Amino acid sequence: MIRLENITVRFDRFTALDDISVQVNEGEFFTFLGPSGCGKTTTLRVIAGFIQPAAGRVMVRGRDITGVPIEERNIGIVFQSYALFPTMTVRDNIAFGLKIKKLPAAQIRDRVADIVSKVDLSSDQLGKAVSQLSGGQQQRVAIARALVTEPAIICMDEPLSNLDAKLRVQLRNELKHMQQKFGITTIYVTHDQEEALTLSDRIAVFNKGVIEQVGTPNEVYNHSKTQFVCNFIGDINRLAEETCALMQLDPAKAHYIRLERVPVNPQPDARMALLRGTIKSREYYGMYIKYTVQTPQQAVRSIVRNDGISIYEPGQEVSLGLNPLNVMSYPLDEEESP
Amino acid sequence: MRTGTRWLKPANIFRLFGFGLFIYLFLGFMVLPNWNTLTQIFNTTVKTVDPATGLETVRRDPWAVIRFFFAGNMGKYVLNSLKLGVFLVVTVNIVGISIVLLTEYFDIRGARILRLGYMTTLIYSGVALVTGYLFLYDNNGILTTALVNAYPGMDKNWFSGFNAVMFTMTFACTSNHMLFLRNAIRSIDYNTVEAARNLGARPMKVLWKVVFPTLIPTLFSLTVMTFITGLCAMSAPTLLGYDSINPEIVRLAGSSIADEAFPQARAALLSIILALFTIILLTVLSAYERRGHYLSVSKTKARLVKQKIHNPVANALAHVYAYALFIIYMTPVVMIIIFSFQTYSAIRMKTLDLGNWTLLNYFGQADYSYLTSRGTYRVREGAVSGVFSNADTLGGIRTSFILSAIAAAAACVIVVVAVNYIFKRKKTGALVEYALLFPWLLPTILICYSYRTYFNSSDVWYVGNTNLYYMHNVRLLIIIAYTVTKLPFSLRMIKAAYYAIDDELEDAARNLGAGGLTTMLRVKLPIILPSVLAVFALNFNALFTEYDMSATFASSYGTTYAMVMQSMTREEGLYGFNVNASGRRAASTVFIMLLSGLVLYLVYGVGARDLGERLALREKRRARRAKWAARLLPRKKAAEGSR
Repeated sequence: MIRLENITVRFDRFTALDDISVQVNEGEFFTFLGPSGCGKTTTLRVIAGFIQPAAGRVMVRGRDITGVPIEERNIGIVFQSYALFPTMTVRDNIAFGLKIKKLPAAQIRDRVADIVSKVDLSSDQLGKAVSQLSGGQQQRVAIARALVTEPAIICMDEPLSNLDAKLRVQLRNELKHMQQKFGITTIYVTHDQEEALTLSDRIAVFNKGVIEQVGTPNEVYNHSKTQFVCNFIGDINRLAEETCALMQLDPAKAHYIRLERVPVNPQPDARMALLRGTIKSREYYGMYIKYTVQTPQQAVRSIVRNDGISIYEPGQEVSLGLNPLNVMSYPLDEEESP
Repeated sequence: MRTGTRWLKPANIFRLFGFGLFIYLFLGFMVLPNWNTLTQIFNTTVKTVDPATGLETVRRDPWAVIRFFFAGNMGKYVLNSLKLGVFLVVTVNIVGISIVLLTEYFDIRGARILRLGYMTTLIYSGVALVTGYLFLYDNNGILTTALVNAYPGMDKNWFSGFNAVMFTMTFACTSNHMLFLRNAIRSIDYNTVEAARNLGARPMKVLWKVVFPTLIPTLFSLTVMTFITGLCAMSAPTLLGYDSINPEIVRLAGSSIADEAFPQARAALLSIILALFTIILLTVLSAYERRGHYLSVSKTKARLVKQKIHNPVANALAHVYAYALFIIYMTPVVMIIIFSFQTYSAIRMKTLDLGNWTLLNYFGQADYSYLTSRGTYRVREGAVSGVFSNADTLGGIRTSFILSAIAAAAACVIVVVAVNYIFKRKKTGALVEYALLFPWLLPTILICYSYRTYFNSSDVWYVGNTNLYYMHNVRLLIIIAYTVTKLPFSLRMIKAAYYAIDDELEDAARNLGAGGLTTMLRVKLPIILPSVLAVFALNFNALFTEYDMSATFASSYGTTYAMVMQSMTREEGLYGFNVNASGRRAASTVFIMLLSGLVLYLVYGVGARDLGERLALREKRRARRAKWAARLLPRKKAAEGSR
């Protein structure tokens, strides 16, 4: 569907994207994930046509659109700020693209009515100003405006970042539901790993202008290809040299273990290395409890389900189980190498 | 071939045409006329007579006017202007800071009413204000007459020269404080005040150590602007008799070489001196602004809560001071309104005749009979006339209205187009920006004087060898001068509004298929429209009552409203002419206040509402109508039923 081939983008001397290549399949919910300034929004803007790459090609359904003007690409965008026109009503915002295309008034009316019902907006909101809508409603208007022109692809640039936590979770689910309903190829940009993991069919993890890994949520979480990916996605313990020695792990590599793979006071298991230590701190999350345990080797963090019974107090002695099968190992970085 | 065709796109041709036009206007109406003025200084000629032969020779003497400056009394005008500027900085800041603190920071009873009084200068300024003050305070003014009757030893000529100019301008120049300092004080984060109090600071310490430092950038700008206003003062010195630079430039510009030595070169020299001071001050100001501002770092700003003055004596004194200032601000306004409805005889006697009110100063005409030196009565028909019945006054209003409206609109259009370009093209945009700010470096008088001298010729090829200072052409020249002088202010304000446009809006419009022009007209312009309208209104208000520029042009074809008002102050009632000039002037002032007030209300009150507010208001009105209909309908039905 979309194929980015060796895209490079430079801003003066700064290389924002360095020879990236990725393919997005038809109907897929594909996420660009990474920290701020890693190049994910730049990639999105290259696809939309706002930025011309210094090198490389953007292919859509086999056609090279690298030099095609923005308005001829047939790509819808939902912006981070939604970019709703404040001087227009909801109706005018949604109909803007159709009016530009000079569609007959009756057709515009029908298409606006149709999309409004699909994104769960009520028709009496059409006459309102966008400033009179809630954040969630504004997001729906932005989606309706992007979809009403029937684009081949829809790009979303952190569309949930302006919302409060509860609404974000609610709209996240609605977004996925809508994408499935429309079956439209979606490229989603976010720095929120949880959002990426819950929404995406596949994820591309960006770092410093390059793509570190492309894979399903399970692949990038459980089989992270690089140290950066495993550190960026989810919370993780890096094992100290003493711990690695205890577990007989290769000292020439960096070893990591996810928090939920470190049980506190586990059932005896021959494969597990046991570390004894005292609870240094406890963070209560409701469904889960996160402990930091100080062992003679290092401080190890663990997250356990809150069953309401096994709750440990700071200062209490516990043992931690580390299974080598759950350890993810990577070659040391250049600066870490002896 | 393909590249050639693409280059010939309408957008590119339009851009090229626009750029060409801009360069033409910049060079033709900003650079060349002013450069001509500068060179006039060094084009002076002197006559010398050879004592031996008695032959008269004329030779160029580039330094003659400079020598004249140091030898003659020209320095007096510069020193007087500087003195006025320095004194005004002190008095205007004292009054300006006081009125802002009294209405916005301290808890003073009746602050809303006080604020309205202090804000009257927004709708009442320039010649209208000065003539209003004259009406009250000059040697036969109403208040002076009352004071002299009460205190016979008092000097009835107290309101003239430097004192009068200082008094008038001190209260006339606080408008900027009420606009900008008020905004600055309202945007203070109240949490910082609370934090200081919590850390043990007393209220005055908080004011001095926490509040004032955040106001310093605004105060610095206001100080510089006040100094420039003092330096370039025109209407007050002219009407109140004070020898400062601008009135002297206008006088010299109208003088001929037969009357005095090289008047034009002297006028040019004074204009250049004024320009140099302005350049230095604006350079200092922009260097200061570049150093950065004290910005609130708070993410959750708290709204300022007014501070109570707990010391009863201090509180009483603050109230007395606030209301004394209110009386000073309001007295001319109230008096002008009242006397605009008084007969000419009551006005001439400087007494309020409560039993005799008239609308004659506004509408209609009346004959006037007066005693001649031969002891006979003579009647001059239609000698008493209202603002809207007097041909001269109406002509002035019409001229000012048309010229100001065209120029205010032209300045806005030019700046909107330019700002759109400035935001798109950083490098060439910067050049355009500097070009539009260029007139700020030059006093308005210099620009007008330059136009008057440079275009008073049929040899300027780029205006088709037309003499633009000839007859009706002068109106075009005034419009151009008005437009040029309003460009920097319009640019600063509209550019600030442009920053509020989210870049993503333009991206969204383009993504939805809109071209550059459509995006500009349908997305960006509606967003900045309230600001553009505000700039238009402020420009229009300022130009409608301006005196300095039209007086510099001094053409009977460009007699503006302010010039008519100024002329009304002369020869009042002499030989039956201008009989009710004071009354008509008062009525004119009331008319200006109403017009300015209306424009400001429409722009700030109505125009500033966003779409949401407008729709909510419409909904409210509809609900109110429905409510009334529901109330009335049962009555109607009941009435029908009873029938």
